[in-house]
Amino acid sequence: MRKGSVRTAQISEFIKRERWPEAIAALEKLSSAEGADCFGSLADEEQQALFSQLPVELAARILSHFPYYLQYVLLHTRTPADMRAVLDYMPPDERMQLLDELPDEAWERLEEEIGELKRPPLPSSPAPPSPVAKTVLPSQRTSPSAPVIRSVVASPATKVAPAALPVREAPLEAIIEARGLEKSFPQADGHNVQIIAPLDLSIYPGTVVALLGASGSGKSTLLRMLSGLSQPSSGQVLWRGRDLAQTVPNVAIVFQSFALFPWLTVLENVEAPLLARAILEPERRKRAMRAINTVGLKGFENAYPKELSGGMKQRVGFARALAVQPEVLFMDEPFSALDVLTAENLRGELLDLWLGDKMDIKTIFIVTHNIEEAVLLADRVIVLGRNPARIRADFRITLPRPRDRKSPQFVIFVDYIYKVMTSTDAVVVPPSPGKTTEASRYPLLPHARPGGIAGLLEVLIDTQGTEDLYHLAERLLMEVDDLFPIVDAAVLLGFATLEEGDVNITPEGKTWAEADVSTQKKLFREAALARILLFQQMVRILREKSDHSIPLELFRDILDEHHSEVDIQRQLETVLNWGRYCELFAYDSEKERLYLPSDADAVTEEDNPEFPARSV
Amino acid sequence: MNEHRHNPANAARIPWPSLPWVGRSFLIDVPIFAVGVAVLYIVVALARYWSGPLTPQVEIDLHARALPLYALYSTLRIAIAYLLSLVFTLVYGYIAAYNARAERFMVPLLDVLQSIPVLSFLPGVMLAMVALFPHRQLGVEMGSILLIFTGQVWNMAFSFYASLKSIPREMREAAKIYGFSWWQRFTEVELPFAAIGLVWNSMMSVAGGWFFLMACEMFVLGKRDFRLPGLGSYLQTAASTGNTRAIFSGVAAMIAIVVLTDQLVWRPAVAWAQKFKFENVEAAEIVHSPVLTLIRRSRLLGLLTRKTVTPFFESLQLRFAKSNGNASAAATTVGRRSWWLAMVGLIALAGALYLASRGVVLLAGVSTTELHMIVRGLLATLARVTVALVLGCLWTVPAGVAIGTQPRLAKIAQPLAQIAASVPATALFPVVVLALVRMGGGLGIASILLLLLGTQWYLLFNVIAGASAIPTELEEACKIYRFNRWERWRKLVLPAIFPYLITALITASGGAWNASIVAEYFHLQGRIFSTTGLGALISQASDDGNFRLLFAATVFMAGTVVLINRLVWRRLYRLASIRFTLNM
Repeated sequence: MRKGSVRTAQISEFIKRERWPEAIAALEKLSSAEGADCFGSLADEEQQALFSQLPVELAARILSHFPYYLQYVLLHTRTPADMRAVLDYMPPDERMQLLDELPDEAWERLEEEIGELKRPPLPSSPAPPSPVAKTVLPSQRTSPSAPVIRSVVASPATKVAPAALPVREAPLEAIIEARGLEKSFPQADGHNVQIIAPLDLSIYPGTVVALLGASGSGKSTLLRMLSGLSQPSSGQVLWRGRDLAQTVPNVAIVFQSFALFPWLTVLENVEAPLLARAILEPERRKRAMRAINTVGLKGFENAYPKELSGGMKQRVGFARALAVQPEVLFMDEPFSALDVLTAENLRGELLDLWLGDKMDIKTIFIVTHNIEEAVLLADRVIVLGRNPARIRADFRITLPRPRDRKSPQFVIFVDYIYKVMTSTDAVVVPPSPGKTTEASRYPLLPHARPGGIAGLLEVLIDTQGTEDLYHLAERLLMEVDDLFPIVDAAVLLGFATLEEGDVNITPEGKTWAEADVSTQKKLFREAALARILLFQQMVRILREKSDHSIPLELFRDILDEHHSEVDIQRQLETVLNWGRYCELFAYDSEKERLYLPSDADAVTEEDNPEFPARSV
Repeated sequence: MNEHRHNPANAARIPWPSLPWVGRSFLIDVPIFAVGVAVLYIVVALARYWSGPLTPQVEIDLHARALPLYALYSTLRIAIAYLLSLVFTLVYGYIAAYNARAERFMVPLLDVLQSIPVLSFLPGVMLAMVALFPHRQLGVEMGSILLIFTGQVWNMAFSFYASLKSIPREMREAAKIYGFSWWQRFTEVELPFAAIGLVWNSMMSVAGGWFFLMACEMFVLGKRDFRLPGLGSYLQTAASTGNTRAIFSGVAAMIAIVVLTDQLVWRPAVAWAQKFKFENVEAAEIVHSPVLTLIRRSRLLGLLTRKTVTPFFESLQLRFAKSNGNASAAATTVGRRSWWLAMVGLIALAGALYLASRGVVLLAGVSTTELHMIVRGLLATLARVTVALVLGCLWTVPAGVAIGTQPRLAKIAQPLAQIAASVPATALFPVVVLALVRMGGGLGIASILLLLLGTQWYLLFNVIAGASAIPTELEEACKIYRFNRWERWRKLVLPAIFPYLITALITASGGAWNASIVAEYFHLQGRIFSTTGLGALISQASDDGNFRLLFAATVFMAGTVVLINRLVWRRLYRLASIRFTLNM
């Protein structure tokens, strides 16, 4: 590792002086994998500058080690003829994989640029799977051992300039550095539930960092530990090299719920943090008014928050944060509580302020579950996996600003993140010694309703049985957070499969979706019993008991060992919902007991079929 | 702290240019100035009276002439007791909410203390205070004030604690991330968030103070007879001598004071507290108070605030902010403070254990006959409380539903009910008892009526609230499916008001047990009217100075109330919140 970084520094030095032959020679001396590793640890600008100079053969060799979106960016540092040549030099399976992974828009654009290419048939008719594509998941290629793109300085307004490389300053010191950061909550029975697996993370000045993850993945917890609001269970956070616990960092948070004080006016709300810093009156008002002016709320300074719309409230939240001129501006889902148009408007204004350098802020750290928002705003995206949270991917987004949602490059990133987020095989991280957090024998059922699953399958039938997750979310106007559990549930029941971000309906799924209500229940019951251990055990215990009934508490205990209270509550809800829907058991909410349904019940229920969507 | 901010919009409405001290604003300042002078006079007069020599047994003058002074004394007693309660509330609630170890016993302790009737505190409090100031009027006065305090404080403390616990997480985090000092967090986050609950509970507490005023101003303690000049002792003396004219003028004075405080203090306070509503949208219904408007428009007060209060709070904020900046660097003080707290806790625990053991010894001395009396009294009071609650439900449910579902009726009935409810029921007791005794009924029936008088308003107002919250869609569904009257009640109305009714019943039941001490035992026309009951037992034991019986009866009453809360009300409350809430 040490040797590798020395070599990287050497090559980086050559690039700075534009001594290309030496740089290429140094790179050629390395084996293919080492070379890619070394290349990957260069800064983006350096990567692009070097790549444009590489001989075609070496370029092709190195290229195949990178995720497709980076391949796409690197390819574009060269002339169209060169691009074609590099592609031709790539091993056929690698080339196929790249072309397979590229989203349609990017693919069409590439074809326009360099002429017709051989590409596997379009997804409308099922593609013959390329062998490599199926075995290598994108997330694995961005795991820490593979070339992770390090976060380095980029002045906010920097455009990607492929050939000309600006002279770089010395690498900047990280503002925040997390080392072995871990969070776990002790349960009543003495077990520890790990929310965040030990992770390392550095935040550098001059970047917008987006932390992405599904809900409940612990991203807000991570934000709170990085900002010093909550203490890690182990590991430490360094603030400019000093332990966060011993310093008073100058940070601000913009909250999802705004967290304004309703009894203070806009001005008083913005002044409150300044008052806490013992700033005296004329200066305090001046700074607060400047912040209010910056977010465009001048004239509202004497209004109370309840007189403002949601978007304006969040502007007050921004003004309050700007007033203290924080080094790091943390944002916890700042646009989630707003309607679509307001959110879009505010995002744009935030970007304008950031790019125009109108805020005295060094770095923005934004937590979100909205993939497009992350790609739109961030210089660097970190994707968190779940149960417990660990970093699945950490990469830079070098698209020029303003970013166009419809541009192929944009779509590539969105699509890539979808794949990372849906891949169930998270990066394998060695377990930390000491604390044991064994995996549950009963993996949590996704929090979805049978009605939702049926709806998803019907959409899939409309789209010839397969659809890209990203398009699906767009088509259904759903947030990823709401869509993922439904897809997971369909996959779990064998009604659909998920490959590389595409959802495909299975024959069983098609039969189920098209069946009438009582057959649907029967098929669902069979699928659940065949595939879900928890249901098998529940039914077995119910049959064994003489009165065919058991308290719900029993299952709470089964789940209790491995999951947090909130998870268990949601899990029980889902279990009851599925079980009651497919008539595996009946449930009395007052006695909190489960029963095996008697035959008489089954008959009456078939007379009054319940609509799956209405089951509660 | 800028609630008295001068509003320039009002000045703009005056068409001609007004000089600073002329025009409307000046006229507004006249009553406010007068109030200032009056307060000053009261303070001086009070100081003279309190520092005077001890006269534990003031001769109560039943002439109407004496009423204004008595009313003033009583009002001041309640006001001071209320201020004490407020201070206690802030301290107790704060510690209970932020110290997890203390919370574990402080909150259940509130539950128990709340169920102990005022009279049970009487001997301890009184004897301690008289011993503390043996030669000054101050001692007896302090005792009386502390008694009123014990009737006011618990629900306020609980409300403040509950408010602190329910401050949204993100709001707390905002205060933390922006480095608010302790003082800034208290004044800009915690106190405002708790304000509405505190105001409502203050109203209830002060009403409770008036309710038990008679018991707190005039009582016999063994051989000693305490009488303090005040409205409560005036009423009690009038009742025991059977002076009907004095009873009526006393009741009228009390009603007048209660209505006045409502207009001058509580309505402005409620209107002002609306500013602290924790909601994101503007409320449709707004409480108005002319007095608050008067205060807000006053230039004199505005000027005073700007010159004194605002700079004072500003400097306070800055001082705490500065010391906060210094303190956060050195985190060691926290460790020392927690060690100190642990010591105090340990000493308190040892003290409590010692007192508990003494209590057990005292209880062990209770004879079998006394135990019989207590159990018989307990059962009798339990029956009486139950009957009173059932009777209360029987009339308030139909009446409340009628008022709640018909806006036109509500417009007439609600203000009337509010005035009726604000009259302390104890003030009416003499009238009621006199009437019943003349008709030949005993105190057994009268006491049920008295309990009913004290508790029915909680029920009525909650039922009205519940009935007016029934969604019109559900009403329409009942009409469309042609539910008959019985079906409509069973399927819609009763389930919909159930949670509200339970909430009211919890408060009413606790109140009824507490009220039994004044309802079951009565001095009237020189005679003692009393009936079998735990309340009568406690009152009598207090009169006779029988501490053992007093203590035993109190333990039984508190135990029963807590037990009933746990076994009955809490379960029903849980059922109500699971099955009968209207948000689906």
